[in-house]
Amino acid sequence: MTPVSRRRSTLQILLLSAGFFVLVAVSVASVLLVNKAREDNALVVHTVEVESQVANLLLDVRRAESATRAYLLTSAPQYLSEYQSAAAGLPSALGHLQMMTVDNPVQVANAAKLKAAVEQRLADFALSIERVKHNDTATSIDILRKGTSADALEAIAGIGRDMRTEEDRLLAMRTATADRTQVLASSVTIAGSCMVLALAALSLVLLRQSSRARDEAEARLRDSNVNLETIVDERTADLREANEEIQRFAYIVSHDLRSPLVNIMGFTSELEELRGDIFKRIATLNRTASLAPAMPEDATDVAEPELEGSDKQLSDDFSESLSFIKSSIAKMDRLISAILNLTREGRREFKPERVDLRELIDGIVKTVAHQAVEANATVEVGALPKIVSDRLALEQIFSNLIDNALKYLRNGVPGEISIEGRTKLGFAIFEVTDNGRGIDPKDHQRIFDLFRRAGTQDKPGQGIGLAHVRALVRRLGGTMSVASELHKGSTFTITLPIKWSGKNREKAS
Amino acid sequence: MSDPVTIIMIEDDEGHARLIERNIRRSGVNNEIIPFTNGTEAVNYLFGRDGSAVERKGQPLLILLDLNLPDMTGIDILKRVKENKYLKSTPVVVLTTTDDSHEIKRCYELGCNVYITKPVNYESFANAIRQLGLFFSVIQVPPASI
Repeated sequence: MTPVSRRRSTLQILLLSAGFFVLVAVSVASVLLVNKAREDNALVVHTVEVESQVANLLLDVRRAESATRAYLLTSAPQYLSEYQSAAAGLPSALGHLQMMTVDNPVQVANAAKLKAAVEQRLADFALSIERVKHNDTATSIDILRKGTSADALEAIAGIGRDMRTEEDRLLAMRTATADRTQVLASSVTIAGSCMVLALAALSLVLLRQSSRARDEAEARLRDSNVNLETIVDERTADLREANEEIQRFAYIVSHDLRSPLVNIMGFTSELEELRGDIFKRIATLNRTASLAPAMPEDATDVAEPELEGSDKQLSDDFSESLSFIKSSIAKMDRLISAILNLTREGRREFKPERVDLRELIDGIVKTVAHQAVEANATVEVGALPKIVSDRLALEQIFSNLIDNALKYLRNGVPGEISIEGRTKLGFAIFEVTDNGRGIDPKDHQRIFDLFRRAGTQDKPGQGIGLAHVRALVRRLGGTMSVASELHKGSTFTITLPIKWSGKNREKAS
Repeated sequence: MSDPVTIIMIEDDEGHARLIERNIRRSGVNNEIIPFTNGTEAVNYLFGRDGSAVERKGQPLLILLDLNLPDMTGIDILKRVKENKYLKSTPVVVLTTTDDSHEIKRCYELGCNVYITKPVNYESFANAIRQLGLFFSVIQVPPASI
């Protein structure tokens, strides 16, 4: 699922960038080609201009010539002025043509030749007109008729043709180039547009695909969410049922274990009584056998008969065995009672109510005041917050902890026990600190296990207190931990919600 | 006890039954004790074949009842006894291992006269039974027919 979507999005990005690149390339190419086309067009225009310039030039030459001739014939001053205007324009027109053709060496040469020829012709005209002014028409006609003059005329026409041909060639070439450029520009634009369109279509398809995939995934997610909730609900119900089952089981088992225990204990006690009777009788028999038979029958009632030697050994062994049996039964009974109490606690409904911890703990301290005096210990209660929780559970938690603190003090060191409290982020934190014998760090977990204890086993107990306390704290939606070092005292920290709704843990468990 | 009160002992555990009997005897009570080890037999005896208990009419009885029976709970027997017009005034002593406070409360609500938890500690157990014996010797058991 994830790699597919990742591939798809990578593809999407690639497509987008490809489209972007194509667009940029097309734009750049268009700009370049448009510039090129403009240049080409300018060249074409230039060629046409050169042609017209040449044509104009030739026309002016003809005009000058015909004006000259007319003047020669008529000597009318109007033709003179016409000749003058035509001749005056020619040098500048020639210069212009030379400037225009400066880019083409062939035309430069042509222009130079043309200039020479035209100047030659103009000089001839000027000479003829001069002669006519001096009424020497014959000479002037002569001048014009001279071969050189005709040659110049011929040369001018030839050069003009050459230049026009050259320019025609250029025009054809340049027009073709301009056409090519335009075709290229339009084909680049069309190709680019097609590519962009194709890319857009492709990305649309991809987009539709991915949006369909997303819709499907969304639907799946919604389904699985619904499923998950049902599953969680089912599991929670299962767990709760299993928990109740375990509670019932523990209750019934511990209950049914008790019945045989009553018998074992009862008949062991009966046996003990019998033992007393039997050994009493043995002692009496021994004595009657060894001493005078004159002993009265009811002597056993008067004095306790003494056992001797092997009989005494036998009696002691008997007693020892019985006492072991009895102490084991007593222990088993205590364990069973503990389990029963725990299951009973587990079945109890907790009721959240407002509890003044200070008041509650003061009450506990009062009940253990006697123990504290005996243990030479002082209990200090600091300022404690008020919280909403189950009163009975809190009482059990703190009385267990205070009991433990009093129970496991260091010999010969006056006990100092303190209970402190503070609040933080919706939780109340309580610390029960003592300066007692402490707990080895390796036992920190173990002490919370049922029927497990740590350190010197010199105090009575079943190893239930802390397991019970932790179970209660958890049910109240809190946590507990211990910080302790051997011979340096312990601190038990309990964190409870300030406002317990009676739900958070119940529902979760 | 001046009247020949019969003690009906409904107790599935024979060991317990024996211990109870011994200790009652030790306290000097010599009345007849009829033991039953299951609920059905006890019910048959108490209520007769037709279930009306007419056979027990006028017979002074005292019932020692265990709650955990193999075939029914002692609570059912207690309820039937206290609902029966011939047996309802018969004293019932519940003697069981259950020390659950709900159970105790329920038994008293149903009309049980005394509720005793069997302690594992034998001295307490023997003590309790002997006290019970003394109690038997002083209480007046009414004829069941009233």
